[in-house]
Parts: sequence; structure tokens; C-alpha cells
Amino acid sequence: MTYITNGFTLKSWLLTKDHKRIALMYLIAVSVFFLLGGLYAAAIRLELLTPQSDLLESGSYNKVFTQHGVIMVFFFLIPAIPAVLGNFFLPIMIGAKDLALPRINLLSWYIYMIGGSLTLYALMQGGVDTGWTFYTPYSTTFSNGYVMAVGLGVFINGFSSILTGLNFIVTVHTMRAPGMTWFRLPLFVWANYATALVMILGTPVVAITILLLALERVGHIGIFDPSIGGDPILYQHLFWFYSHPAVYIMILPSMGVISELISNFSRKKIFGYEFIAFSSIAIAVFGFLVWGHHMFVSGQSMYAGMVFSFLTMVVAVPSAIKMFNWTATLYKGSVSYDTPMLYALGFMGLFLIGGLTGLFLGSMGLNVHLTDTYFIVAHFHYVMVGGTVMGYLGGIHYWWSKMTGKLYSEFWGKISAMLVFVGFNLTFFPQFILGYQGMPRRYAAYPEELQVLNIFSSAGASVLGLGLTLPVMYLTHSLIWGKKAPANPWMLPGLEWRIPSPPPTENFESTPVVTWEAYEFGEENGLDLDEARKRDLATV
Amino acid sequence: MSTHDHYHPPGLQHQFEDMKQQEESVSIGMWAFLVQEIMFFGGLFTAYLVFRSRYPMAFAAGSNHLDAFWGGLNTLVLIVSSLTMALTVYYAQKGNRNMQVILIIATMFFGAVFLGVKAIEYSDKFNHGLVPVAGLNHKSKAEEPAAKEEGKTAAGEKHEPNPRGEFQWTGENYEASVKIITEAHEKKYLTKYEEVGYYSNGELDQNKVRDKVRIFYWIYFVMTGLHALHMIVGLGLMTWLLIMAWRGTYSADYYSPVEISGLYWHFVDIVWIFLFPLLYLLGRHFMHGGGH
Ligand SMILES: [Cu+2]
Repeated sequence: MTYITNGFTLKSWLLTKDHKRIALMYLIAVSVFFLLGGLYAAAIRLELLTPQSDLLESGSYNKVFTQHGVIMVFFFLIPAIPAVLGNFFLPIMIGAKDLALPRINLLSWYIYMIGGSLTLYALMQGGVDTGWTFYTPYSTTFSNGYVMAVGLGVFINGFSSILTGLNFIVTVHTMRAPGMTWFRLPLFVWANYATALVMILGTPVVAITILLLALERVGHIGIFDPSIGGDPILYQHLFWFYSHPAVYIMILPSMGVISELISNFSRKKIFGYEFIAFSSIAIAVFGFLVWGHHMFVSGQSMYAGMVFSFLTMVVAVPSAIKMFNWTATLYKGSVSYDTPMLYALGFMGLFLIGGLTGLFLGSMGLNVHLTDTYFIVAHFHYVMVGGTVMGYLGGIHYWWSKMTGKLYSEFWGKISAMLVFVGFNLTFFPQFILGYQGMPRRYAAYPEELQVLNIFSSAGASVLGLGLTLPVMYLTHSLIWGKKAPANPWMLPGLEWRIPSPPPTENFESTPVVTWEAYEFGEENGLDLDEARKRDLATV
Repeated sequence: MSTHDHYHPPGLQHQFEDMKQQEESVSIGMWAFLVQEIMFFGGLFTAYLVFRSRYPMAFAAGSNHLDAFWGGLNTLVLIVSSLTMALTVYYAQKGNRNMQVILIIATMFFGAVFLGVKAIEYSDKFNHGLVPVAGLNHKSKAEEPAAKEEGKTAAGEKHEPNPRGEFQWTGENYEASVKIITEAHEKKYLTKYEEVGYYSNGELDQNKVRDKVRIFYWIYFVMTGLHALHMIVGLGLMTWLLIMAWRGTYSADYYSPVEISGLYWHFVDIVWIFLFPLLYLLGRHFMHGGGH
């Protein structure tokens, strides 16, 4: 009996403590939010087709980009990989029956749903126009939107993130199977562990910040209002103390997926395992020391700016370490270009650009020129979409057969991976140029000279939209008509590939004893490379 | 699920191999939760640090209206409750049901005393117009000054009418803050934020001073309020422990719920150990003659 056939009632899902079922419930929920955020993005790109503010007047435009940001950041990017793929695979990859705290896991899903519903309710009532950062005084004095409801939604949602992080930390510490030492952990587990650290250290700070924001909005007690002694910069410090590390909540798990993909689809042990593992921890730690690079022009002290600028350069080092090690893994590997690998290679290209333009923005002098322009928008989309979404999609394709027991169409998979890559670049690369030429973000109108590049961008967005819609169709299709997946369709050594697809409720018949290193390809593991190649050829 | 071939002691959840693994997990989970709590309160401590370093005199003036006796009593109460909590864990390990029950009741009693004292203090602030949110203070009209002069206000301060229940910093409170601000001004102790934060055109501005004292009071209310909320959650935990202990659940083999509830209780106490000096004691000497 698989985890899917273990009960068909609604109750057997809504009250489940099985990490795999909770992961699927998260998958459905985050997909809905992703779709919704995507629709807002479509509205933005439609409006920006023409220089005038015609489709949306400025007030509505403010709401549209705010809601795009709020939904995508808090309800898709942050939970996506940890709560779906991490939830499903972290216990299996370390040889455990479940996460250490299954009830807390279910609770985190409910908290997510409550926070999400509240936010959706607020959006239907009239939405918010503060920008996803809820900067004061937009959010306290001037906003006419439903700041309280959305803020409360984000506040509540934060606790689901905290509980997921807490659960991962406990699980990695106590639930590893015999022989699964720390340095035999798959790098996806290391990445999620580092993410979990950021989740429990950062999220509470944004929670208290939103609480203070609510108090200021309701009581006007002078926390952030300088006219009565408060400090708006304090808000920004507190907000970015979480929200810069939040970028790593989004990108670290994705890097974990990429480590899996690069090694496994090169059929080669990953190069520099320890370096990749520790670079995740280094990113988590140093990520907490750079938040001020969001505030170079907002009035913080220049000396603080210099320190933040320097530390921002430093935090790029562990990311670069990963990039070098992945590249070195590819070298002389037996690389196959299945859909997940296409996403992984796409990730490397896009994250490289996203990361390097981050250095432009981290340089205090250049930042003054580029801040609040489309250069910023392009940069963080390269990191969040080019990084997180590519990793998420790569992971979904990679593990789809294990999660559902069905094989999707490789043909359509590859088509859509390429569409996403091309569409993404067409959408966001022109925005670097637009930003460099001075087009500010968050305006519904722009000078006519900038229209050509904006048309490129909007056209790219429709290609990207198509590329993202296809998986919904062929993956859903595979659920019903897809071929039944074998236990190990990619011929890989990881623990998750040694149990049936889909896994039974308890994951393992008996607790596995691990005697091998991570990514150990070899015949002693029953993995015949030639057979794997034959399979690759057969699916082309 | 009946395929397990090994022995499952009662109380062991299915995902664990043995009790040791379960206890470790639960304990690490609570520690991680407390780390999260530290960061949660950390945002507020940061706000305290920022504003206190900007407006030390307003903070001293606001702090002096808090009653160090009640604060000190509560500190003592919480420390004793920590002792009874620690002893509860000890007797849970021994499997001594009666002592557990007595000590949990004692812990809850001290927790309730703490909240009671907090309620007395809050109502005092309510009566004196010191709640920072407009409308949440006692509303008094100009016609009935005598009603507020009755003996229940300990300091016997004069009260301005406050028909809309706004935050007030008037009468003796204001006079006292004028005294220390002027003295600090003469001795050139004022921070640059204070120089613009208290004065308009070279004159002390009562409204400006009030706004800065109000910053102290929102910090006081948010920090002690969140702390009190944690105490209430703690009392909930204790109620549950009491029921379980009454049923004789805990023994040398199984006491981790008691242990982690204890961790939580101690954490909440420790937060108060920081709050008490920061809110009640710092800056007292400015008004009590020791300030040289
Ligand atoms: Cu940042």
C-alpha cells in the first residue's frame, strides 16, 4: 500500500500526519498562489506594453505590483521548495519514517492556509498598495488599502515557516538512519538545514516588525513616525534584517536541488562535497550581516553603508564556491540532458547573472545610480525566478516519478524547460538595460523612448507564461495517463530511489543502514551506467 | 503498520525508533523554539536600545513612574516559580506524583500572582493616562475632578481632564521630567536627539516631551504585554501538565513533557529578568538623588 492509497477520504488528507501527504497539500496550495501571483505579473507586463498609464491607473497599478510581490515572496517563493520538496524528501533522504514532529508539520500547513486565506480576503476587499516591503509611512499613514489584514496574513504565515524550519532542524539532528553521518547527507539536506536556521532566526524578527507596524497604524504611538519621535529607518532595518536572509530561504533550498541534479545527471560524485555543504551554512550566517545594502540611499550612516557593502561582497564568496564546484562536477561527467538537468543548467546561467549583478548593486557608489530602477527588478528576478523557480521546477520534474508513481512526458518537459529559459531571459534581460537607462520601478507610465525594450520584456513574459503553463498540463496529464514509474527511473544511488514509487506510508520497510557516501555511483550499488544510458536513449 | 517487529513502549510515537530518540527530538525542538523566541523579543530589545540611547531622560522620567516595588515583587515571584518548576522536573524524574502535583500548583499560583500584580500595574497606568494608545485610558471630564482625587491613586498626583482617554504627561510627572531634562541640559548631557526632541525655539515643549515619554510607554506595554501573553501560555501548559501529572503519567522513563515545559517556563522568567532592570530600574537615580 502506497502513501497515496492509504486512505481516500478527505479526512485522511486533512488530518494526515504523513510528511508526504502534507507535502502534496503544500504543493497544491503554493501552486494556486503561484498562479495568482503570475496573473498579477501578466497585468503588470500588459500595462507596461505602452508608455502611458492606460490599462491600469497608477493607484491600481500600485496594488497590482504590491500584490504580485506579497503573494510571490511570502506565499510561493519562501514555502515552495522547503515545504513541498523538503517536506517530502528530507525524511526519506536521511532514512527516516517521517519528520520528527509530524503534528507540528500539519499545523504549519494550517497556519499557512490561514495566513494565505486572510491575505486573499484582503486582496478581494481592496488590496494593498504599499509595495511588498510595507515601508512606512506608506503602510502607516498614507495607505488606503487593507494593510492590517495583509500584514496579519504575512505575520501568521511566518509561523508556518518557523515551524517548518524547527522541524527540519530537529529531524536532521535526531532522525538520521544508522550510518547516515553528517557528511553522508545529500546536499539537498544540508541546504534545507541551513535554510531552516535562517527560518527560525530571521522570521521572528519580521513577525515582531509587522506587529509593531500594526500597533503604529492602529494606535499611532510613534514607533516609526519621526514627527513624534519615531524612526522610519528602524522599520527598514528590522524589515531587511529578515528580508535579506529571506532571499536565502528562497535560494538555498534551490541550490540544494541543483547540487542533487548536477551530480546525479553527471553520474559523478559531486566535486567538493564539504565545500558545498559548508558554503550553505556560511551563506546562512553571513546572510544576516548584509541587510543594510538595501538602505544605501535611505539615510543610514555612510560608514554603516561601507561595512554592509564590504560584507555583501563577502557573502558572494560561498555562492561562487558552489558555482565552481558544480562546474567542476560537470567536467568529465557523463552528462545527460533530461528535463531536470536542463533546469539545473538553466539555473547556473541565470543565477550567475543574478549573482554578479548583485555585486553591482552591492557596490555603494553604483547602487546610488541603480537603486529603485528596473536594474533592481531584473536582478532580483534573476535570483528569485532564475534561481528559486528553476530549482523548484527542476526538483519537481526530478522527483515527480517518486512523488506520484507516474512518468511525465520528457518531450514536453524539455520543450517547456527551454521555453522557460528563453522566455525568462527575454523578459528580464531588457530590464537591466531599462534600469541602467534610468527607468524607475513601480511606475505605470514611462518615457516613449523606452517602449521597444518594454515590448521585448512583455513578449518574453508571454513565452515564460507558456513555458510555466505547459508543466501544469503535462504533469497533470501524467497523473492519469502517464506510464507507471519504476522505483529508480534515473538509476541513481540516493535513498529515495531505493524505495518504491510512490513510497509506502512508512517510507522504509525497515530502517535502512547506510554504508555508502552521498552520490556514490558504482556497480556495488547495483547501478549499471550502460543500462542508464540505454534508458536515456529510449526516452529521447 | 503492524509490521513492526520491535517493541514499542507506550508514549512512543510511530516515527521514532526508541524513547531516547523521541526525547532528544522533543528537547531540541523546544530549544529551537526558544531560539526563535529570543529573536522575536530581540526585535523589541533592539527598539528599546535605539530609543533609550536617543532619549535617555524621557526614558528615565517614564521609568520613574513605574513602581519598582511591584516590579521587584514580581521578579521575586517569578524566581520562586522557577524554583518550583525545577523541582517539578526533579520529582517527575523520581516519579513522585504527589510532589509533582503540589509543585505544579505552586508554580501556577506564582504565575497567577505575577499576572495579578501586572493587572494592578496596568490599571494604574490606565488611571493615570499612561497607556500610549489614545482612547485606551480612563476618560475623565473637567467637571468631576474630585472623582479622581480619591485615595486610590498612591502618589496623589493632580490629574488634568482627559475626556478622550489620550496619553497624558502632565502635572507632577511633567514637572519631574522638566527638572531632570533641565539639569541634564545645563550639564550638557543631552543627546543630539534630545536637544531637538524636547525643545522648540529654545523652550521646553511639553508635547514633544510627552511624545518621547510615550515611546518609553509603548515599549513598556509591548514588551511586558508580550511577556504576559507568554505567561498565560505557560499557565495553559501547566494546566495540561497538572492533569497529566495527576494521572501519574510521568516517571523516570517518561518525563520529557515536564522537562520541555520547564525549559519554556524558565525562558519566560529570564525574559522578565531582563525586562525588570531595563524598564523599572535604569535611570532611577536621576530622580532619587543619586545622580552625580
Ligand atoms: Cu539583500
